[in-house]
Amino acid sequence: MNNSHCQDQETPVVAGFEVPTSPDASYNNIYTATEDDGRDPPIVPQHLQHTVLSYSYPKNGDPAARLPDPQHVVLNHLYIENREAPRSVVALGFSHRFRSKYVNVVLYKPVQRRGSSIS
Amino acid sequence: MPMINGSGLYGLKSCFPYPAKLVADSGIQSSSVHFRESDMIPRFSVSETPGVTGDSMDIDGDPFHHSDANPKILEADVELSRHRISVFLSTHTAYELLPESGKVVALDVSLPVKQAFHILYEQGISVAPLWDHNVGRFVGILSPLDFILILRELGNHGSDLTEEELETHAISAWKEGKLQLTRKFDTNGPLNPRRLIDAGPHDSLKDVALKLLQNKVATIPIISQDGSIPQLLHLASLTGVLKCICRHFKHSPASLPILQQPICSIPLGTWVPKIGESNGRPFAMLRANASLSDALSLLVQAEVSAVPIVDENDSLLDIYCRSDITALAKDRAYAQIHLNELSIHQALQLTQEASASYGFFNGQRCHMCLGSDPLHKVMDRLAIPGVRRLVIVEAGSKRVEGIISLTDLFRFLIG
Repeated sequence: MNNSHCQDQETPVVAGFEVPTSPDASYNNIYTATEDDGRDPPIVPQHLQHTVLSYSYPKNGDPAARLPDPQHVVLNHLYIENREAPRSVVALGFSHRFRSKYVNVVLYKPVQRRGSSIS
Repeated sequence: MPMINGSGLYGLKSCFPYPAKLVADSGIQSSSVHFRESDMIPRFSVSETPGVTGDSMDIDGDPFHHSDANPKILEADVELSRHRISVFLSTHTAYELLPESGKVVALDVSLPVKQAFHILYEQGISVAPLWDHNVGRFVGILSPLDFILILRELGNHGSDLTEEELETHAISAWKEGKLQLTRKFDTNGPLNPRRLIDAGPHDSLKDVALKLLQNKVATIPIISQDGSIPQLLHLASLTGVLKCICRHFKHSPASLPILQQPICSIPLGTWVPKIGESNGRPFAMLRANASLSDALSLLVQAEVSAVPIVDENDSLLDIYCRSDITALAKDRAYAQIHLNELSIHQALQLTQEASASYGFFNGQRCHMCLGSDPLHKVMDRLAIPGVRRLVIVEAGSKRVEGIISLTDLFRFLIG
């Protein structure tokens, strides 16, 4: 790596071997637009989308039946199933590690009627 | 009416030394005769075995008329194999049953039973543990037997619940009612049916297998008590334990000598009784045109988990298991049909359609073996997930000779 700043301060420069500066025409980056800054940061880190909870075991009697390993970043996060609004059952799930194996648990709970709190 | 075969020729081979003792369930009202699969271990006698110290062999006075294998060698083989398997199971824990990344589905106990039915069907599972939020722990298991009992209850005398109440009839309410029901005809049930039977991840495989056998259940949850929060880890069944055994002994078959013996020479499984057996009772089989309600009655009263479906020559066509009941959730078939109007053939079609629509590759439904197959072959087949029993058939004609289930195998291996 060429760091001419470093060279100027530490290494004595040999005549005739100075590092040329970049041509001025190459400085063509426009200033960053404000629309990138105008967006809010994501509510939830994007890597949390990669959950394996929606997988099911293959039903072909495969002796090696197992889900893919969950990413370590999604462990111990509680997920809720994405379904349309009028629903009477909700699925909650999370992946955790037990010793050196992964367990993906899904619990189906009834949704209470409006007017009472969801237990 | 179901055709339960009580007569006719079975064409049995001669390698069948053990007269099968059948025990009929005393609480049965129907006129056909049933038997309990779990009691079906044929007994064999051993004359003198001075070298055998094991006291787990059954000895009775029945004549022993097998001509081929030396009974003393057989006895020693069985003892040695049992001992080695017992040592293996005692030194390995339930943690080994867990897959590297496993999924387990649980249901809240306040869910309506109908919804539970649909969830199990959609997820392609037949069993789920029940979580009770009020007490903060798992309190039971919902299994295909529950659905069979519910369907029969609804079918028998339309229930006391109104239509709307049925929609909201919760699992917890059903389990309460079931307690009253089962007390009537299940005198052999677990001592305290309300207590959840489970195991911890550090329990030995032997404890897990014994719990499954003694409580006559197919699945128990493996739960880790992490502080005050129970963590559900896995649903253990005999299939998983058998897979561990097969994996461990795969490379040293000589250490389990009994594995080389053909299954007809070992007291294992339930066999169709010989012709002329005076106390022989019919082996439960059904024709394809029998009604579903007869099949369900058999599954409940005879306490068997599957019924072979045969044609008029007793050749195997298919098999109807308890877990096939969840296929009735497809398109709410259970609501539109009356159990005694649906034939087994139609119910089996529903099962096949159900598997196809969810993209499940059903594979082979009936797993078979021959009476002359060696035990290790039978064990390897039983270790396949989803296979809980093998139908013993005659080569060529596929005539049903008997059934070997996981339970039978484990009772033989660990007593």
